[in-house]
This record gives sequence, C-alpha cells and structure tokens, in this order.
Amino acid sequence: MSDIKLGITLYCFTNEYCGDSMTLEDCIRKAKEIGAEGYEIVATQMIPSYPYVSDEFLGEIKAMSAYYDIAPICYSANMDRGMRGDRNLTEDEMLQMAINDVKSANKMGCKVMREQFLLSPAALVKLAPYAEAYDVRVGIEIHNPETPNTPIMRDYLEKIQTSGSKYIGFVPDFGLFATRPNKPMWDEALRAGVPVSILEMARDMRLNDVSWDDAMKKLGEAGATGPAFATAQGMWGFVQFRENCKAELKGLQEIMPYCFHMHGKCHYLSEDLKEASIPYNEIMPVIAESDYKGYIVTEYEDHNSGNAVEMTRRHIAMMKKLLGR
Amino acid sequence: MAFAMRINFVDVVCDNSLKNVFANGKKVGYQFDIRLSYYRGHFLSVIDKLALKVDGEEVPADDISFCLHGKEFGVSQLHDQVSEFWRIIEPATIKVFKNGGIAAGEHDIDVTLMFHSPYMPISDTDYMPIDGCGNKKLTLAEF
Repeated sequence: MSDIKLGITLYCFTNEYCGDSMTLEDCIRKAKEIGAEGYEIVATQMIPSYPYVSDEFLGEIKAMSAYYDIAPICYSANMDRGMRGDRNLTEDEMLQMAINDVKSANKMGCKVMREQFLLSPAALVKLAPYAEAYDVRVGIEIHNPETPNTPIMRDYLEKIQTSGSKYIGFVPDFGLFATRPNKPMWDEALRAGVPVSILEMARDMRLNDVSWDDAMKKLGEAGATGPAFATAQGMWGFVQFRENCKAELKGLQEIMPYCFHMHGKCHYLSEDLKEASIPYNEIMPVIAESDYKGYIVTEYEDHNSGNAVEMTRRHIAMMKKLLGR
Repeated sequence: MAFAMRINFVDVVCDNSLKNVFANGKKVGYQFDIRLSYYRGHFLSVIDKLALKVDGEEVPADDISFCLHGKEFGVSQLHDQVSEFWRIIEPATIKVFKNGGIAAGEHDIDVTLMFHSPYMPISDTDYMPIDGCGNKKLTLAEF
C-alpha cells in the first residue's frame, strides 16, 4: 500500500528567487500556502553557507520550520565533476563531496538527498555506509533523456541490488515519461516565427527516432532557422518524448523498491489540471498501486514564464485530484 | 567559442554600483558589482574567461580584481578558487586599478564572463559553456 506525500521543490521559484522578487522565506511560505507537506532545497541555489550548513542558517531554517509548520525534506545535491578547469574531479574527490552533502542533509533534518549521475555506481555504493549512519537515503536522479531502462541506470540498479543497502536508490523525474513536445519551448518557437510545419516535422522525426544529425540536415533543408534548431535541441536533449511511456512505466515498477523520492516535473498545466506533455493520468495509478512510501515533489520548470506560483498551485491540485484527495 | 547556454534572471552589471577606489586619499581605480548569470551558485574555479571593456577600451587583465567575501583575486588566480563559492543572489565586486580613477559621468561597462556548468558534461572532459556576460551604462555621480 502506497503512502504518498506531496511536496514542492523551492527550485520552482528559481526566477523569483534569482531575480530578487522572492527571498528564501517567501519561497518557504509560498510552498506552505500552496499546500506542500514538505519542501526540497537545491543546496547550491539557496544555502548561503554552501557547501556547508552553518549553525546560523540552520537556526533560520528551524525558526521558519516552526513558524510556517513546513520543513526541508530533501537536500538536492549537485555533482560538480567539472568544477576544476584543469581536470575532472577524481572518484575519491566526488565521494568526499557526496559525503559532505550527506552530512549537510542530515544537519538540515532531511531524510533524503538527490544525487546526480556523475557520482558513479561504485562511488554510490561506497557512500552507502555514510548514508546509513546519517540516516539520509541517497537517490540518483533519473532525468530525461535517461529512463529506468537506459544502460547507466541499469548499472546503478545492479550495484544497488548487490549492495543490499536500503539507503541508496533512485529519484525518478517524471519528465522521463513525456509523450509530447515541451509546450513552453514549442510556444516560444512559434512566437519566434518558426512555422508550425517545421515544428511538426521535428516532432515526427523525434517520434520516429531519427538521429540528431539526420534531423538537423532535414530541418535545414526544410528551411529551419536558429529558434527551430533550439527547440529541436531540446527534443533530442533533456525534453525528449516518445509515442507512449509503457516501457518506462514498466521500468519504474521494477525500480520502485529502490525509490524513496520523486520529482513531479511540470512545464505547463492547463486550467483543467492537465500537464501538457507528461501523462500523469497514466503515471499516478502505477505509483498509487505500488508500495511507494515517500514524497512526490512538484518541480516546475519554465522559469521564464513568470507563472511559477500559479503553475505550482495547479500541479499540486492535479496531484490531489489524481490521488482522490 | 561556439554555442554557449545563457540562463539569466538578473542584470549581470548591477545598477548604481560604480565608484572610485581610493588609496592614500587619491583615486587609484574604480569598482562596480556583478551578478552570476545562472540559476545556482558556483565555485569560482568554473570561470573560464573574465575580461572587461570600459568605454570601448579593453582593460588589461592584470588590472582587474574579482572580489568576494572580503577577498580579492586576480583573473589568473580564479581557476584555483575551488572552495570560494559565489552564491546566485550575491553580488561580486570588480575592482580595476587605474591611477587617477574614472571620471564622473556615464561609462559603458562591458563584462565578458564565460564559465562552464560543472555537472553538465558535453564530453568526457568538457562541460556546457555558459555565457554570463553583461553590458550596462553606469553613471558615476559628480561630487
């Protein structure tokens, strides 16, 4: 029997936070107002003492948690393998970075940490004893174009299963289930004057698994210009989509025992509470009928829209509706 | 550099931040503030290029200091700052050594700031280049 809690990642308010119209406290208050039961924080974005959690900041967080009755539940880490200009970080250096993040997550009271795939499967296994000792479960984010079925994620799965640890696993991002093109990017292309025929051509080639090189060539021949290629770059990049997501949902069921946190990705929600490219009506029953216990946090990602608050609100409303709450 | 991603929520060159820098009661340069153009903070070591043109003239790299957290780094020292973290909502100060300072009035500040996103590999050793450049006319008040 599943036990799904709804949260939001403060990353939804990236535009407002980075553009100085919302402070961290504003973001936390808004999360509570919208109906989140807990929030995720991207450490490199909003923790002033990053890569550490200072006692001063912890005091502020605790005060806000008490005042607004909402607490951080997931510490979102980055794996900055390329932070040095001269060479990649070594496996040992990346492990140390992740250990430090586990400690920070624990200090903030988070029981879950999002980690990125540059931390290798072997290093993730090495992190497990630290995760256990600090009681922070570390999940590798599965973000489009990765899916539970792609080779790198299969490698993690094998290592996680072999390790026997309950403290390492996955954080699936629902963007991986997309069955339609990213609406904000599509609309932006239209606004930039890209003919809809070009966009449809790109969409159809994506659905038919045409290679990026061939697609570029064909789009070029059809007269595509900069904005069309930018949209196509997304379609072959981080916002890929396919005819249906049956195989991906099957993959999700397989990794479900190792999932303890999920990202409810959204780019656009209509007034009648439908996500434009991600079939939530197909995804949510699979999770609701599983033994999943944990948060699904709303992750709105069309920062330039200026609509973050309304879209986040709609997403939470959609989730409640789909869960029959 | 060919393609570079641009993620921008705030002006790179900060309004009303231009001032002269003094030593021994004399103007020895000027300074202004800049913001990081991205959605999260970064260690300074991800900066690949920092250059400056003021009123159309290239400022020698040796005369540029990048200042953060009460510390000052030369352009050539930035690559080594693997533990100095520039927050996304935190202005950094650019100080320029120029004996005599800068004249009152309007100046065209053109900052070239290229960095890479260290968790977005585009090959085994290369990372997504990010355009963090900014340009603005700042006015130094008469006094």
